[in-house]
Amino acid sequence: MSENTMTAGMASLKQPGVRTLPAVLNHLYLLAMMTVIAGILTAAMVMQYVWGELPCPLCLLQRAAMLGVCFGIMQQFRHGLSNRNTGVSLLFTVFLLVVSVRQTLLDIYPRPDHEYVGSAIFGLHMPVWSVLIALALLIALAFELIFWGGKDHMREARLADHPPIRALATAVSLYVIALALINFGSVVLQCGVSECHTFGYALLDSLTGAPATSN
Amino acid sequence: MMFAVFASLSLALVLGWFGRRSIAVACMALCFGLAVAEFLWEIYSPEYGFRMPWIQTRVIDGPFAPDLAVAQLTQPRGDLS
Repeated sequence: MSENTMTAGMASLKQPGVRTLPAVLNHLYLLAMMTVIAGILTAAMVMQYVWGELPCPLCLLQRAAMLGVCFGIMQQFRHGLSNRNTGVSLLFTVFLLVVSVRQTLLDIYPRPDHEYVGSAIFGLHMPVWSVLIALALLIALAFELIFWGGKDHMREARLADHPPIRALATAVSLYVIALALINFGSVVLQCGVSECHTFGYALLDSLTGAPATSN
Repeated sequence: MMFAVFASLSLALVLGWFGRRSIAVACMALCFGLAVAEFLWEIYSPEYGFRMPWIQTRVIDGPFAPDLAVAQLTQPRGDLS
Protein backbone atom coordinates (compact mmCIF):
# COMPACT_ATOMS: atom_id res chain seq x y z
CA MET A 1 0.00 0.00 0.00
CA SER A 2 1.48 3.36 -0.98
CA GLU A 3 1.80 6.29 1.37
CA ASN A 4 -0.77 8.26 -0.60
CA THR A 5 -3.33 5.49 -0.22
CA MET A 6 -2.73 5.30 3.52
CA THR A 7 -3.07 9.06 3.86
CA ALA A 8 -6.34 8.96 1.94
CA GLY A 9 -7.58 6.15 4.19
CA MET A 10 -6.75 8.10 7.34
CA ALA A 11 -8.47 11.16 5.94
CA SER A 12 -11.64 9.18 5.26
CA LEU A 13 -11.66 7.94 8.87
CA LYS A 14 -11.63 11.53 10.05
CA GLN A 15 -14.73 12.37 8.08
CA PRO A 16 -17.75 12.83 10.37
CA GLY A 17 -19.92 10.36 8.46
CA VAL A 18 -17.43 7.52 8.82
CA ARG A 19 -16.73 8.24 12.49
CA THR A 20 -20.38 8.63 13.56
CA LEU A 21 -21.73 5.49 11.89
CA PRO A 22 -20.62 3.16 14.74
CA ALA A 23 -22.12 5.57 17.27
CA VAL A 24 -25.42 5.66 15.36
CA LEU A 25 -25.51 1.86 15.23
CA ASN A 26 -24.70 1.67 18.95
CA HIS A 27 -27.49 4.11 19.77
CA LEU A 28 -29.96 2.15 17.63
CA TYR A 29 -28.86 -1.10 19.28
CA LEU A 30 -29.40 0.35 22.77
CA LEU A 31 -32.72 1.84 21.69
CA ALA A 32 -33.89 -1.58 20.48
CA MET A 33 -32.84 -3.16 23.78
CA MET A 34 -34.74 -0.60 25.83
CA THR A 35 -37.81 -0.89 23.59
CA VAL A 36 -37.89 -4.67 24.11
CA ILE A 37 -37.59 -4.25 27.89
CA ALA A 38 -40.36 -1.64 27.84
CA GLY A 39 -42.53 -4.08 25.90
CA ILE A 40 -41.88 -6.85 28.44
CA LEU A 41 -42.73 -4.54 31.35
CA THR A 42 -45.88 -3.43 29.55
CA ALA A 43 -46.93 -7.07 29.09
CA ALA A 44 -46.33 -7.72 32.80
CA MET A 45 -48.49 -4.74 33.71
CA VAL A 46 -51.25 -5.85 31.34
CA MET A 47 -51.22 -9.21 33.14
CA GLN A 48 -51.51 -7.33 36.43
CA TYR A 49 -54.20 -4.79 35.61
CA VAL A 50 -56.24 -6.57 32.92
CA TRP A 51 -55.94 -10.22 33.97
CA GLY A 52 -55.84 -9.41 37.70
CA GLU A 53 -52.62 -11.32 38.39
CA LEU A 54 -50.84 -9.48 41.18
CA PRO A 55 -47.04 -9.72 41.12
CA CYS A 56 -45.23 -11.59 43.89
CA PRO A 57 -42.32 -9.86 45.73
CA LEU A 58 -39.70 -11.63 43.60
CA CYS A 59 -41.63 -10.64 40.45
CA LEU A 60 -41.51 -7.00 41.61
CA LEU A 61 -37.75 -7.30 42.14
CA GLN A 62 -37.42 -8.62 38.60
CA ARG A 63 -39.30 -5.57 37.32
CA ALA A 64 -36.97 -3.33 39.35
CA ALA A 65 -33.96 -5.11 37.81
CA MET A 66 -35.29 -4.53 34.28
CA LEU A 67 -35.84 -0.85 35.08
CA GLY A 68 -32.26 -0.75 36.40
CA VAL A 69 -31.03 -2.06 33.04
CA CYS A 70 -33.02 0.74 31.38
CA PHE A 71 -31.38 3.27 33.73
CA GLY A 72 -27.95 2.28 32.39
CA ILE A 73 -29.15 2.63 28.80
CA MET A 74 -30.79 6.00 29.49
CA GLN A 75 -27.50 7.26 30.94
CA GLN A 76 -25.85 6.27 27.65
CA PHE A 77 -28.37 8.44 25.81
CA ARG A 78 -28.10 11.38 28.22
CA HIS A 79 -24.36 11.49 28.97
CA GLY A 80 -22.66 9.73 26.08
CA LEU A 81 -21.60 6.17 25.41
CA SER A 82 -19.53 4.73 28.22
CA ASN A 83 -18.53 1.31 29.52
CA ARG A 84 -19.46 2.52 33.00
CA ASN A 85 -23.11 2.79 31.98
CA THR A 86 -22.91 -0.64 30.37
CA GLY A 87 -21.61 -1.90 33.71
CA VAL A 88 -24.71 -0.56 35.47
CA SER A 89 -26.94 -2.43 33.02
CA LEU A 90 -24.82 -5.55 33.43
CA LEU A 91 -25.09 -5.42 37.23
CA PHE A 92 -28.88 -5.29 37.13
CA THR A 93 -28.99 -8.03 34.47
CA VAL A 94 -27.03 -10.36 36.74
CA PHE A 95 -29.39 -9.46 39.59
CA LEU A 96 -32.36 -10.27 37.33
CA LEU A 97 -30.79 -13.65 36.52
CA VAL A 98 -30.15 -14.50 40.19
CA VAL A 99 -33.67 -13.56 41.30
CA SER A 100 -35.42 -15.34 38.43
CA VAL A 101 -33.35 -18.54 38.80
CA ARG A 102 -34.06 -18.59 42.55
CA GLN A 103 -37.79 -18.13 41.93
CA THR A 104 -37.78 -20.86 39.29
CA LEU A 105 -36.06 -23.24 41.71
CA LEU A 106 -38.50 -22.26 44.46
CA ASP A 107 -41.45 -23.68 42.56
CA ILE A 108 -39.74 -26.26 40.37
CA TYR A 109 -40.84 -29.16 42.57
CA PRO A 110 -44.63 -29.41 43.02
CA ARG A 111 -45.64 -29.26 46.69
CA PRO A 112 -48.51 -27.76 48.67
CA ASP A 113 -48.79 -23.95 48.51
CA HIS A 114 -45.99 -23.74 45.99
CA GLU A 115 -46.78 -23.36 42.35
CA TYR A 116 -45.72 -20.96 39.64
CA VAL A 117 -47.57 -17.67 39.95
CA GLY A 118 -49.52 -16.28 37.02
CA SER A 119 -50.51 -17.72 33.69
CA ALA A 120 -48.21 -19.66 31.41
CA ILE A 121 -47.33 -17.91 28.14
CA PHE A 122 -46.32 -20.30 25.35
CA GLY A 123 -46.04 -22.97 28.04
CA LEU A 124 -43.60 -21.05 30.23
CA HIS A 125 -44.35 -19.17 33.43
CA MET A 126 -43.02 -15.68 34.13
CA PRO A 127 -39.99 -16.70 36.28
CA VAL A 128 -38.80 -19.01 33.50
CA TRP A 129 -39.31 -16.25 30.95
CA SER A 130 -37.30 -13.95 33.22
CA VAL A 131 -34.38 -16.40 33.15
CA LEU A 132 -34.48 -16.37 29.35
CA ILE A 133 -34.80 -12.57 29.27
CA ALA A 134 -31.80 -12.19 31.60
CA LEU A 135 -29.72 -14.52 29.44
CA ALA A 136 -30.75 -12.62 26.30
CA LEU A 137 -29.76 -9.32 27.96
CA LEU A 138 -26.39 -10.73 29.03
CA ILE A 139 -25.70 -11.87 25.47
CA ALA A 140 -26.88 -8.52 24.07
CA LEU A 141 -24.63 -6.56 26.43
CA ALA A 142 -21.70 -8.84 25.59
CA PHE A 143 -22.23 -8.16 21.87
CA GLU A 144 -22.42 -4.43 22.59
CA LEU A 145 -19.01 -4.58 24.27
CA ILE A 146 -17.59 -6.75 21.49
CA PHE A 147 -18.70 -4.41 18.70
CA TRP A 148 -18.51 -0.97 20.32
CA GLY A 149 -16.55 -1.30 23.58
CA GLY A 150 -13.18 0.37 24.18
CA LYS A 151 -13.44 2.99 21.45
CA ASP A 152 -12.52 6.38 22.88
CA HIS A 153 -14.04 8.47 20.09
CA MET A 154 -17.48 6.95 20.87
CA ARG A 155 -17.57 8.95 24.12
CA GLU A 156 -17.87 12.18 22.19
CA ALA A 157 -20.85 10.90 20.20
CA ARG A 158 -24.01 12.74 21.13
CA LEU A 159 -27.62 11.95 20.34
CA ALA A 160 -28.23 15.61 19.57
CA ASP A 161 -26.38 15.09 16.27
CA HIS A 162 -29.11 12.68 15.11
CA PRO A 163 -32.55 14.23 15.71
CA PRO A 164 -34.68 11.23 14.58
CA ILE A 165 -32.87 8.80 16.91
CA ARG A 166 -32.92 11.41 19.64
CA ALA A 167 -36.70 11.78 19.33
CA LEU A 168 -37.20 8.01 19.50
CA ALA A 169 -34.84 7.68 22.47
CA THR A 170 -36.63 10.50 24.28
CA ALA A 171 -40.04 8.90 23.69
CA VAL A 172 -38.95 5.44 24.87
CA SER A 173 -37.07 6.90 27.86
CA LEU A 174 -40.11 8.89 28.98
CA TYR A 175 -42.28 5.80 28.53
CA VAL A 176 -39.91 3.77 30.75
CA ILE A 177 -39.95 6.51 33.40
CA ALA A 178 -43.75 6.48 33.27
CA LEU A 179 -43.72 2.69 33.70
CA ALA A 180 -41.45 3.05 36.74
CA LEU A 181 -43.73 5.66 38.31
CA ILE A 182 -46.84 3.55 37.67
CA ASN A 183 -45.07 0.54 39.20
CA PHE A 184 -44.11 2.65 42.20
CA GLY A 185 -47.74 3.69 42.69
CA SER A 186 -48.85 0.10 42.27
CA VAL A 187 -46.33 -1.09 44.89
CA VAL A 188 -47.62 1.56 47.30
CA LEU A 189 -51.17 0.28 46.81
CA GLN A 190 -50.23 -3.40 46.96
CA CYS A 191 -47.66 -3.40 49.76
CA GLY A 192 -47.95 -0.07 51.55
CA VAL A 193 -44.73 0.32 53.52
CA SER A 194 -44.69 -3.24 54.83
CA GLU A 195 -44.48 -6.78 53.46
CA CYS A 196 -45.86 -7.53 49.98
CA HIS A 197 -48.57 -10.12 49.42
CA THR A 198 -50.44 -11.29 46.33
CA PHE A 199 -53.81 -11.37 48.12
CA GLY A 200 -54.83 -7.92 46.94
CA TYR A 201 -54.02 -4.24 47.14
CA ALA A 202 -53.38 -4.02 50.89
CA LEU A 203 -53.51 -0.23 51.12
CA LEU A 204 -56.79 -0.01 49.19
CA ASP A 205 -58.30 -2.79 51.31
CA SER A 206 -57.26 -1.09 54.52
CA LEU A 207 -58.70 2.22 53.35
CA THR A 208 -62.03 0.74 52.27
CA GLY A 209 -62.16 -1.72 55.17
CA ALA A 210 -62.60 -4.63 52.76
CA PRO A 211 -60.98 -7.96 53.65
CA ALA A 212 -58.08 -9.06 51.48
CA THR A 213 -59.16 -11.47 48.79
CA SER A 214 -57.07 -14.22 47.35
CA ASN A 215 -56.55 -14.39 43.59
CA MET B 1 -38.85 -2.38 51.95
CA MET B 2 -40.27 -2.85 48.44
CA PHE B 3 -41.65 0.68 48.80
CA ALA B 4 -38.11 2.00 49.34
CA VAL B 5 -36.75 -0.02 46.41
CA PHE B 6 -39.22 1.47 43.94
CA ALA B 7 -39.04 4.95 45.51
CA SER B 8 -35.25 5.11 45.05
CA LEU B 9 -35.54 3.56 41.59
CA SER B 10 -38.13 6.09 40.43
CA LEU B 11 -36.13 8.93 41.94
CA ALA B 12 -32.98 7.74 40.15
CA LEU B 13 -34.73 7.54 36.78
CA VAL B 14 -36.33 10.99 37.16
CA LEU B 15 -33.13 12.65 38.43
CA GLY B 16 -31.12 10.93 35.70
CA TRP B 17 -33.49 12.30 33.11
CA PHE B 18 -33.12 15.85 34.45
CA GLY B 19 -29.31 15.64 34.34
CA ARG B 20 -28.55 15.13 38.04
CA ARG B 21 -26.20 12.30 37.23
CA SER B 22 -24.29 11.91 40.50
CA ILE B 23 -27.43 11.95 42.68
CA ALA B 24 -29.17 9.60 40.26
CA VAL B 25 -26.30 7.10 40.41
CA ALA B 26 -26.32 7.34 44.23
CA CYS B 27 -30.06 6.63 44.26
CA MET B 28 -29.58 3.69 41.91
CA ALA B 29 -26.81 2.30 44.14
CA LEU B 30 -29.16 2.65 47.12
CA CYS B 31 -31.90 0.92 45.12
CA PHE B 32 -29.56 -1.96 44.26
CA GLY B 33 -28.52 -2.42 47.90
CA LEU B 34 -32.14 -2.35 49.08
CA ALA B 35 -33.18 -4.78 46.33
CA VAL B 36 -30.46 -7.26 47.32
CA ALA B 37 -31.47 -6.98 50.99
CA GLU B 38 -35.14 -7.45 50.06
CA PHE B 39 -34.26 -10.48 47.93
CA LEU B 40 -32.29 -12.13 50.75
CA TRP B 41 -35.10 -11.39 53.20
CA GLU B 42 -37.70 -12.86 50.86
CA ILE B 43 -35.88 -16.13 50.18
CA TYR B 44 -34.85 -16.70 53.81
CA SER B 45 -36.91 -19.31 55.60
CA PRO B 46 -36.75 -19.79 59.38
CA GLU B 47 -37.07 -23.51 58.74
CA TYR B 48 -34.61 -24.02 55.88
CA GLY B 49 -32.47 -20.88 55.93
CA PHE B 50 -31.28 -20.20 52.38
CA ARG B 51 -31.25 -23.90 51.50
CA MET B 52 -33.69 -25.53 49.11
CA PRO B 53 -34.21 -29.02 50.54
CA TRP B 54 -36.99 -29.86 48.06
CA ILE B 55 -34.46 -30.06 45.22
CA GLN B 56 -31.69 -31.73 47.15
CA THR B 57 -30.77 -35.16 45.89
CA ARG B 58 -29.32 -38.16 47.64
CA VAL B 59 -27.03 -40.84 46.38
CA ILE B 60 -28.96 -43.69 44.83
CA ASP B 61 -27.05 -46.80 45.81
CA GLY B 62 -29.63 -49.29 44.55
CA PRO B 63 -30.80 -50.08 41.04
CA PHE B 64 -33.08 -47.57 39.34
CA ALA B 65 -36.78 -48.17 39.82
CA PRO B 66 -38.66 -48.97 36.60
CA ASP B 67 -40.49 -46.06 35.09
CA LEU B 68 -44.04 -45.85 36.38
CA ALA B 69 -45.61 -45.20 32.97
CA VAL B 70 -43.76 -48.11 31.38
CA ALA B 71 -44.79 -50.34 34.30
CA GLN B 72 -48.45 -49.44 33.80
CA LEU B 73 -48.30 -50.15 30.08
CA THR B 74 -46.65 -53.53 30.54
CA GLN B 75 -48.96 -54.69 33.35
CA PRO B 76 -51.86 -56.93 32.23
CA ARG B 77 -55.25 -55.18 32.47
CA GLY B 78 -57.19 -58.01 34.07
CA ASP B 79 -60.50 -56.19 34.42
CA LEU B 80 -60.83 -55.62 30.67
CA SER B 81 -59.58 -58.95 29.36
